[in-house]
Amino acid sequence: MYTSLFYKEWIKARKLLLLLLVVFAAAVAYTLLTTIKQFHANPVAFWEFIVENNSIRTGYMRYLPLGAGILLAIVQLTPEMHNRRLKLTLHLPLDESKILCSMSGFGLALLSGLFILSGTALLLGLRIYFCPEIVYSDFIASLPWWMGGFTAYLLTVWICLEPVWKQRIFNAIPALCCISLFYTKALPGAYVPLLPWLTVLMTAGFFFPFYSAIRFKHGVQ
Amino acid sequence: MDTIIQCENITHYYGQKMIYEHLNFEVARGKILGLLGKNGTGKTTIINILTGYLKPRAGICRIFGEAMERLSPAAKSRIGLLLEGHVQHAYFNIEQIEKFYSRFFPQWKREAYYELLKKLQVTPVQKISTMSCGQRSQVALGLLFAQDPDLLILDDFSMGLDPGYRRLFVEYLKEYITAENKTVFLTSHIIQDMELLIDDCIILDFGRILLHEPTSYILERFRRFRFDSDAPAFPANDILRNTERIGTHWETYSFASAAEVERELVKNGATVSRLSEDKLSLEDAFIGLTGKY
Repeated sequence: MYTSLFYKEWIKARKLLLLLLVVFAAAVAYTLLTTIKQFHANPVAFWEFIVENNSIRTGYMRYLPLGAGILLAIVQLTPEMHNRRLKLTLHLPLDESKILCSMSGFGLALLSGLFILSGTALLLGLRIYFCPEIVYSDFIASLPWWMGGFTAYLLTVWICLEPVWKQRIFNAIPALCCISLFYTKALPGAYVPLLPWLTVLMTAGFFFPFYSAIRFKHGVQ
Repeated sequence: MDTIIQCENITHYYGQKMIYEHLNFEVARGKILGLLGKNGTGKTTIINILTGYLKPRAGICRIFGEAMERLSPAAKSRIGLLLEGHVQHAYFNIEQIEKFYSRFFPQWKREAYYELLKKLQVTPVQKISTMSCGQRSQVALGLLFAQDPDLLILDDFSMGLDPGYRRLFVEYLKEYITAENKTVFLTSHIIQDMELLIDDCIILDFGRILLHEPTSYILERFRRFRFDSDAPAFPANDILRNTERIGTHWETYSFASAAEVERELVKNGATVSRLSEDKLSLEDAFIGLTGKY
C-alpha cells in the first residue's frame, strides 16, 4: 500500500524532480566554475576574502532549496486539493495519519536526495581546491538554507492542505516569518548557535499539515 | 435485516443557515436508496457527513456500525466512493490509476475494470485529465467494479454526462448492483436516471426529510389530480399537496384515493367538477411533493 502511495506521489512529482535536478546541477557547476575562476584570477584577493570571512562565497545556491521545497509541495498538494481529490486519497483503506505521513515523507525523501546529491557534489568539488576546514565551515554556513528548504516544504504543505482560502493567507504570514529566520543575512558561521533551534522549528513543521487535514476532514468552510 | 447506514439526529448548519435538524434514516443491506432534493437541500452535505468529510453540528452516522468520523481501513475498503463530477486522480493514465488502486484492495478485479474500458475510444496511456466527463465516468465506474465494495456511495452520478453516457452508466450500474446484491446510496439531479435504479427514496426538503418510502409505493400510490373549481384557494394538508391553479383548472397531488381527495376538496364548501387522476413518473412525483419553486 505504501508503495502505491509513493507511486502516486512519484507520478505527480517526477517532472519537477527532473527540472530540479537540472537546475541544481547547473547551480553546482556555476558555483564551482565561478569559484575556480576567482581562485585563478586573483589568488591573493581570493584567499584574503576566505581568511577574513571564513567562507568561499557559495551563495549562488542560497534560495534554491527554498524554491525546491515550495515547488515540490505545490506540485504534490495542488492536484489533491483541486476538486477536493484529497477525499479520494483519505478514503483509501489505510490510516489517515499514515497516508499524510507517507505523502510528506515522500517529499522530504525527494528533497533529501536532491540536497544530499547537490550538496555532496558541491563539497567534493570545493575539496579539490580547499582544505577540509574551509569546506566544512562553508557547509555549516549553508546548512540553514538547506534546512529552510525542508521547512518551506512542510509549511507549504500546511498552507496547501488548508481548505479555506482566507485561512491559507493567514497561514502564509507566520510561515513567511518562520522561513525568513533561515535566510537572515549574517556573517558566515553566525548561525551555528541557532542551528538547534532551527532544527526544532523544522521538526515542528512536520506536524502542521495534520492541523489542516483535520480542518479538511471537518469540512471547515 | 442488517443495517448498513444509520444516521441519527443529524443537525447541521452552514453559519446561521439551517440545513437539517434531527435527520434520521437507515439503509438496509441490499437496498438501493436514492436521495432526492432541490438544489441547496443538502444532498452533498449528507454524502460528506456519511463519508466523514463534514462534521455535523450534532448527531451521528454509522456505516457498517462504525462512526463516520473514525471509519477503520477495513470499513473504508468496503465502501466505494464516487465524487460529484466523477472526480478522480486526473494526473494518472488509465493503466496507472488501476495499478495505483489495485494494491489497496485484496479482492481487486482487474478484468472488471478493463472490460468496461474496452468500449471507450481511449488508449491505455491516455491521461484521465484529457478525457471527457463521460469517459471519466466510465473510468470511475470501472474502478468501483474492480474494487467490488459492499456499499457504493455515489454523489450526483449524472453530473456532466450526456444522455448516452448517462444511460450507459445507469445500465452498467444496475446490472452490477442487482447481480452482486450491493447496497447503494446515491444522489442525482436527473430523476429519470434514479427511477431506473432505486428501491427506496428519500426526498429532502429544506431542513427535513419530506418522504422516505419505497419507490414502488410512490409510483403506485402518489397521483396528480386535475379538477375545475371556483374556489379561490384550498388549504394544504397531508391529503392535498401543492394545490395550485394552472390556467383554468386546478392541480393537486396526493397519496389518497380519488374519493378521499374529492371529499377533502369539497369539505370547505367548494364545488369541484371533472376530477381526473394521473399516474406519475418519479420526477413528476418529486415536483408534486416539493413544488415547482
